[in-house]
Amino acid sequence: MFYPEPMTQIEIVVPEQHVLAATNVVAESGMFHQVDASYLSSETGLGTTEDWSKKSTAAAALERRLLAVMKTLGIKEGSPPADLASMTDVEAVQPMAERLEQQVEGVIEDLADEQKKLEKLQNYVRQLEPIADVGIQVGALRNPRYVFSVLGIIPVEHVQRLRTSLEHIPAVLLPLRQDSRRAVVVLSGTQQHADILERAARSAYLSPLNLPDDYQGTPREVIAALRTDIEHMQTQIADQKGVIAELRESRGEQLQTLLWRARASRMLADALARYGRLRYMYVIVGWVPTRGLDALTSRLRHISGEILIEAIPSTRGRADTNVPVALRNPGILHAFQRLVTIYGRPRYEEVDPTLFLALTFPLLFGAMFGDVGHGLVLALLGELLVSRKVSRLRGLADLGVVVTICGVVSIGFGFLYGSVFGMEDLLPALWIRPMENIMLILSLAIGAGVVLLTLGFLTGILNAWLARDWGRLLFGHTGIAGLLLYWSLIGLAAGLLIPGLPVPHLVPVLLAAVSGLAVMFSDLLTRLVEGRRPLIEGGLATYAVQVVFELFEALISLLSNSLSYVRVGAFAVAHAGLSAVIFILAAMVSPARGVVYWVVVALGNLFVIGFEGMIVGIQTLRLEYYEFFSKFFTGGGARYVPLATLPKIGE
Amino acid sequence: MAGRDVSEYATVHARVRAMYSKMLAPETWTELCEAADFAALLSLMKGTVYAPYLAEVEDEKLTPRRAVYQVKKLLADAFTIIARLVPRSSRPLVTQFYRRYEVDNLKALIRGVETGASWERVRYVLFPLGSFTVLPAESMMEAEDVGAAVEQLRGTPYCDTLAHAMERYTAEHSLFPLEVVLDLAYWRELWRDVNQLPNSDRTPGRHVVGSLLDASNLMWAIRYRVSHHLSEEEIINYTLPSGYQVHDEDVRAIAAGADIAQVMARVYPSLGDVSPLLKEPQRGLPRLEAQLLRHVAQECRAAFVGYPFHVGIPMAYLLLAELEIQDLTVLVEAKASHMSDERFRPFLLVGCTLD
Repeated sequence: MFYPEPMTQIEIVVPEQHVLAATNVVAESGMFHQVDASYLSSETGLGTTEDWSKKSTAAAALERRLLAVMKTLGIKEGSPPADLASMTDVEAVQPMAERLEQQVEGVIEDLADEQKKLEKLQNYVRQLEPIADVGIQVGALRNPRYVFSVLGIIPVEHVQRLRTSLEHIPAVLLPLRQDSRRAVVVLSGTQQHADILERAARSAYLSPLNLPDDYQGTPREVIAALRTDIEHMQTQIADQKGVIAELRESRGEQLQTLLWRARASRMLADALARYGRLRYMYVIVGWVPTRGLDALTSRLRHISGEILIEAIPSTRGRADTNVPVALRNPGILHAFQRLVTIYGRPRYEEVDPTLFLALTFPLLFGAMFGDVGHGLVLALLGELLVSRKVSRLRGLADLGVVVTICGVVSIGFGFLYGSVFGMEDLLPALWIRPMENIMLILSLAIGAGVVLLTLGFLTGILNAWLARDWGRLLFGHTGIAGLLLYWSLIGLAAGLLIPGLPVPHLVPVLLAAVSGLAVMFSDLLTRLVEGRRPLIEGGLATYAVQVVFELFEALISLLSNSLSYVRVGAFAVAHAGLSAVIFILAAMVSPARGVVYWVVVALGNLFVIGFEGMIVGIQTLRLEYYEFFSKFFTGGGARYVPLATLPKIGE
Repeated sequence: MAGRDVSEYATVHARVRAMYSKMLAPETWTELCEAADFAALLSLMKGTVYAPYLAEVEDEKLTPRRAVYQVKKLLADAFTIIARLVPRSSRPLVTQFYRRYEVDNLKALIRGVETGASWERVRYVLFPLGSFTVLPAESMMEAEDVGAAVEQLRGTPYCDTLAHAMERYTAEHSLFPLEVVLDLAYWRELWRDVNQLPNSDRTPGRHVVGSLLDASNLMWAIRYRVSHHLSEEEIINYTLPSGYQVHDEDVRAIAAGADIAQVMARVYPSLGDVSPLLKEPQRGLPRLEAQLLRHVAQECRAAFVGYPFHVGIPMAYLLLAELEIQDLTVLVEAKASHMSDERFRPFLLVGCTLD
């Protein structure tokens, strides 16, 4: 829970004859994160990786073809059959698939041809309809002699632009017909401007229409002849569709089975392509959670005693970005885990801050939003989200857990502050009333910030220790030097603000100077400790400026990080203030405290819960992400993706 | 309305702020620009937010092209995160904005098919869109010719867009009409999405997206006139009538032969006199484009100031991240070909620029 799940790297050496069975076992375990081990192949010429890649490509091609056929026939993919343990020989299946494909393709091609012809005829009709009333022979429209004229189709969105472009040219652009995508237009002008008009038409993607050569007469006569042919063609198309429906009935199940076999084979071959190949053996490399290692090992040994398994437990001793990171937190923390991964995925050697977040987030929220009534509403709202009873809010179920917990903590703080639905005189304050103790609550908020930041520093130090990053650990502004600087500055400030504090001024001054110098020269000192040269890069003058800014930035960041927590107290005060305003407004509207008074109070409370609740949530998230996480969290861990040979249904 | 904005944008805003804070700092840019060579640059980049993406590939395989490809994955991840977190009303805009890389990929694929390039040669030039893309990239590259490749786009939004232009491609044997129609269709759709945003999002959306549209539209008009010597009518048809600061009359003025420097001074008074850049178009136009994009970057940074719960902030971050990657691309290419500072710095947009 405090760290990503312990992982063990395993290398499985499998004799060739057991490779498929072994692959199925690791895939079915649902916990094997595969690593590309094809580089381990010791001999060239065995052709394995390439072979598997080819098999994968062949299976993928078959899958695509089958999908295309199924799509054409309107057959759904269905669910994977239960018996998909072995790899399908694509070459053996190919003839059957081809037969099916040819059978379907023949009918489909005929249908497509007929449809194309039909479309062409319908297109002619559409082109001619706008000029149906023109009493000329269609042939005469083809080559006008005295005017430049184009009858054509243009994308609708280009029409206005074409018109704009011809503003200074004597020309007529007449849209004859238009649907949502295209327009039939006539562009006419004098032959003198033919070149300009032609270039303008072309640049507006106006495609001249081809009028039918086989049909003679006026547009009306040609349209009538075309319509007769269209009817004939539609009958033929209906016949073809009947044949397709028959095929769908008779071949549907067979195609679905074939599709899933091809798909399983492709995914299996993909996995196999990433194995290393020795002469008669395969090397499978990957990671499994340590807790699942024994079960996987025993299942593999069950296949054959010849399978060799080497397990190398990973240590958190060094930064290793290759170890996949699986976060394992109890169900109630999953929502907080999501908040962490939105910011970044911890690295393997890093502390998983989910638990910290789960503890501090509701506390900070509750302290800012302390009210028994408002907390209760939030908790109920959270419960509603968790219950998934409202279908439109189902996606927010995880968030519901956070809202519920925050609501409960707000209730707790509500009792401490003595506030219920903004009424400050109904309950006694078990601790303090924020409005009456503003300075105290602001100071306490900063104090809480100091504690949290110190916790962040300590976690950062622990992370640096675990990663064996000595430079960061000793001299980094989030390491020991940073923490010392922070506390010595706090000591200095306390000495100045609290007279009579039994700490000599010299101690924090000296500590601040030493730690400040360490932070300033952290890069140089790190290089010194790690034996890296040169100690200084980019010239002494640049370096001098850089270190001064480094210290300045560290100081500013310490100050701003700490002061950021003032907002916890400020929001506690603002919450009480805002609630008071609601009652003042209600009293102004209804001095006699009638129904209107309570309506205003109810609406005001809803506003506080919605608006202020939201802002407090954002501020809490901000405090966690920017002030707290920045002290220790590096992120960038690799995602743990267990191998699967079949997609899970519903994915 | 404000309450709704806050609730809808709270998470994405927090996330974007976190990502924004991880953008390369000026001192990092100084170090990167001063890197001795490509290897030194890579080693410095491995100390930045791009480290996990570069670590995915073994060092010896990290060619300049591959390094740029890996770096772009950060932007792809950012898009995925932001598209998931933004409210439903602004998701079409973010998605369409992301499609710009798909349009670029499509143009690269068509160019690849036209020149007979292999898939291996083209794949790392493409933007790593992952499962987002509708382009059957690898199989398009196997197509015999551009027509067959475009045929494979059936069922995608690009098929219809290219259908008209294909007639011209067949007649002219030039990719120009295909690329122009893709750009025009893309930007029209994007601008429509911006204008369909809810009221509170529309102004910031127009500000950020419009700034980029302005830069593209102006550069098209200038290039068509100065480099391609197209007629007034053609320039108008190949450009867009809408934008944020650039209006149709500006584009039409350029098309009609007006003094480009004067038009630029009217639209972007802060840009200074651009006439020296226009005297030598081959060298000057890329620099002018860089100046315009720097202006876009300024507009994006400005979006982070003020009321934060709107679509402008995620869009501005995405655009800034893109410009940062564009700069890294320039740096990678410059360092790999041992280019001097003076040659590459004028083209940096958000990094250590000379201007």
